Amino acid sequence: MKQFDSLAGKQLNRRQLLAGSAVLGGMLAAAGLTGCGGSANAAVQDIAFWHLLSGGDGIKMQAMISKANQGNPGFTVHPTVLAWGPPYYTKLAMASAGGRPPELAIMHASRVPGYAPGGLIDPWDMSLLAEHGVTPESFAPRIWDKSQQNGRVFSIALDSHPFVMFYNTDVAAKAGVLSANGQLQDVSSPREFLGMAREMQKVTKAHGLSFGYLGSGSQMWRLFYTLYKQHGVDMELTPGQPMQADRDAAVESLEFMASLFDDTVAAKSGDISTGIAEFARGSSGMLFSGVWELPTLKKAGLPVDAATIPTLYGTPASYADSHSFVLPRQLNDDDEKRRSVYKFVSDVLKGSLSWAEAGHIPAYQPIVKSQAYRELTPQIHYANAADIITYDPESWFSGSGSDWQTYFAENVQNVLLGRDKAADGWDAFVRRTNTLLFRPNPV
Amino acid sequence: MSSLTTSRRGAGRTAPSSPAGRRLTTSGAAPSSPRRTRDNLTGWGFAAPFLAFFLVFLVWPILYGLFMSLTGKSLTGANDSLIGLANYAEALADADMWRSLGNTLYFTVISTVPLVLVALVMAALLNVGLPAQWLWRLSYFAPYLLASTVVSLFFTWMYNPQLGLINDSLSKIGLPKVAWLNDPNVAMWAIVIATLWWTVGFNFLLYLAAMQNIPHQHYEAASLDGAGAWRQFFSITLPQLAPTTVMIVLLQILASLKIFDQVYQMTAGGPSGSTRPVVQYIFETGFTGYRLGYSAAVSYIFFGLIVIVSVMQFFVTRRRSA
Repeated sequence: MKQFDSLAGKQLNRRQLLAGSAVLGGMLAAAGLTGCGGSANAAVQDIAFWHLLSGGDGIKMQAMISKANQGNPGFTVHPTVLAWGPPYYTKLAMASAGGRPPELAIMHASRVPGYAPGGLIDPWDMSLLAEHGVTPESFAPRIWDKSQQNGRVFSIALDSHPFVMFYNTDVAAKAGVLSANGQLQDVSSPREFLGMAREMQKVTKAHGLSFGYLGSGSQMWRLFYTLYKQHGVDMELTPGQPMQADRDAAVESLEFMASLFDDTVAAKSGDISTGIAEFARGSSGMLFSGVWELPTLKKAGLPVDAATIPTLYGTPASYADSHSFVLPRQLNDDDEKRRSVYKFVSDVLKGSLSWAEAGHIPAYQPIVKSQAYRELTPQIHYANAADIITYDPESWFSGSGSDWQTYFAENVQNVLLGRDKAADGWDAFVRRTNTLLFRPNPV
Repeated sequence: MSSLTTSRRGAGRTAPSSPAGRRLTTSGAAPSSPRRTRDNLTGWGFAAPFLAFFLVFLVWPILYGLFMSLTGKSLTGANDSLIGLANYAEALADADMWRSLGNTLYFTVISTVPLVLVALVMAALLNVGLPAQWLWRLSYFAPYLLASTVVSLFFTWMYNPQLGLINDSLSKIGLPKVAWLNDPNVAMWAIVIATLWWTVGFNFLLYLAAMQNIPHQHYEAASLDGAGAWRQFFSITLPQLAPTTVMIVLLQILASLKIFDQVYQMTAGGPSGSTRPVVQYIFETGFTGYRLGYSAAVSYIFFGLIVIVSVMQFFVTRRRSA
C-alpha cells in the first residue's frame, strides 16, 4: 500500500488506479481497432500480397511491385515477406483456413497439389487474364501443365528456377575443359564428369566441385531427383498405394552422389553456405546450386558461367520449381479487387525481365523470346532448362521446403557420408514415404 | 524461487512464530455473513482479469485440443468429423512418434544430470568465498538471459565442421575433428552442451541462495568437532540442500521435457531424425503436415507422460518429507 501511495499520490487509491488503467487499456484497444480499418475510406484499393522471397530476388520483387503500383493508380499492392519454407506455408494455410488470407500470394508450383484440393486457393479465370494478353500460349508447355489441377488453372507461374551447374571459367580454362565456344565441354557419363572435376581440382588444389548438402533435405533432393529423372524413369505418389519408383535408378543416383564426396572431387562434409562460399572464393571449379544464387556469385566478382546439370544417364532432366501466383480463397469475393489482382499479375509477368536478372527463367514466353533476354549471360546458357524441367512428384506432402524432403535427408545423409549403403538408405526412405501414403489424406 | 524453498523450510522448523500474520486474522472484525460475501466478491473481482485469460487462453484450448484429438481435423478444413480414438490408435503404432518421444526422454535424462550437478559444483565453488562474488555470479548467470535463438546461432557457428571455433581448436592440439551437429551419435550431446551453458545459471542461482541460507553455526559446530571441508560438504551442505535439489530436479525435468527451440534452430531435428523431440513432431504433423487432429492426439499422449512424471515426483517428495 505504501508503494502505491508514494507512486500515485494520496488522492488516488488502488481501486481508482485499477479503474483508470482499465479505461486506458480500453482506449488503446479501441484505437488499435480503428487503426485497422483506417485506410478503408480511400478510393485506392489495397491488395495484400504475400511472398517468401527475402534474398536478392526479394529486392527485385519489391522493385517490380513498386513499378506496378506506379503504373496503376487504382490499387496499391502491399507485400508481406515471410521466411522461406515451412513457416511460410504454415502461415499461408492457416490464414486461408481462418478466412483472412491475402488477396494474392506466391507459392512454389510443387506445393499447389497440397492446397488446391482442400479449397484453400481458387482457380484462375483465364478469360479475365486474356483481357490483359496473358493466355496459355504465354507459357512453356511443361510450366503450363504444372499450372493445372484436374483441368483447372490454380497457379500462374512467374518463373522456373532449375537446379543448375555454375562453373568458374578461369579454372575451367586452366584445367583445359572448355570447348571452342568458351563454354564447358559436354560430358555424358558419370566417369567423364568425375574426370573433369579431378582436372579442375588439380587447378584449385582444393576441390573440383562444390556442393553443400549437410542438414539440407532440399539440396540433397534437388541433385538426386535431377539424376534420377535422367534415367528416364518416373516416380508416383498415390495415397493408399505404395510409392512407385525405379529402385535401380535411385540406388545408382545415390551411389554416384556418394562418390562425389571423396575430398578431392568435392568436400566430404559441408553445408549449403559452406559450399557456396568455397566456390565464390575460387577454391573449386563447379557449383551445383539453384539459379537464384547467381546474384551472389556475380557480386563475388567471379568469372562465372552456367549450364544445366550434365546429362549423365541418357535423358536430359533438370529439377526445378516455379514461383507461381495463387489466389487464396476469400471469405467475401470482391470482383473489383480480383480484377486489380489480375492486372497486377499481368503487369508483373510482362516486367519479368528484371526477374531474369536475379537468375530465374521467366515463365512468360514473350520475355524469354525477347532480344534483351537473349543478351543476358549466363542466364541464356541455361534457358534450355525450361524444356527439360521436372517438378516434384505430386502429393499433399511433397514439394519445395516440405517435410518430405527432410525425411529424404534423414534417410540419405548417411549414404552420402559413406556410412550407409545406398540401397538401405533408399529402402528406408521408401518405407517412410509409404507410411505417409497410407495415412489419412488431410487435404 | 529461492524464497519459496526457504519459506517452506522455515515453516517446517519454526511453525508458530508468525505474530504479524496471526494478529491480523484475530484482530479483524467478527466474520459477519454480508461482509464475507462482499469480501468474496472483491476477491473474485481481483482474480477476474487473470481468470478470464486463464479460461480463454489455457483451459479452453486444452479442452478444445482434447476434442480435436478425437476428430480428423485438418489445417485445410477437410474431413473434420469425429473419428473416435483412431488418432490415438495410429499414434501408438507410429514409429516416428515413439522415436521422437524417445529423443525427448533421452535428452531429459542426459541434460538433467549435468544441469543439476554442474550447478551444484558452481555454487559450491562460489560459496567458499571467492573475491568479486558479483562478477562470478553475473558471469555464471548471464547466458541464461540470452534468447534461445542467440544461443543457437552461437553454437551453430562454434560447431561448424569446417570453420567452427571448437573443431579449429581441436585440430590445433592434434585431435580429430568432430561433426558435432551432423553425426547422429553426437548431435544430441552437442545440444546438451549448448543447453548446459545456456541454462545452468538458473539452477546455480537456486543452489547458491539455498547454500547461503544454511546457518553458519552448523559449520562452526562441525569444525569444532574436527570435521574437514569435505566432511562438512557431505554431512551438512548436501543434506541441507535436499529440498532444493528435489525442487531443481523437478523443475529441470519439466523444462527438459519441453525441449524444442535449440533443436529446431540448430539441427531442425536432424541428422537422420536423431534429435527430433516430440514437440517438434507435434508441430510438424499439425502445422506443416496439416493434420491438427492427429497432432492433438500426440500432444495428449505426451501430456499423459508428463502427468505420470509429475505424479511420480509427487509421491517421491511426499515420502521424503513424511
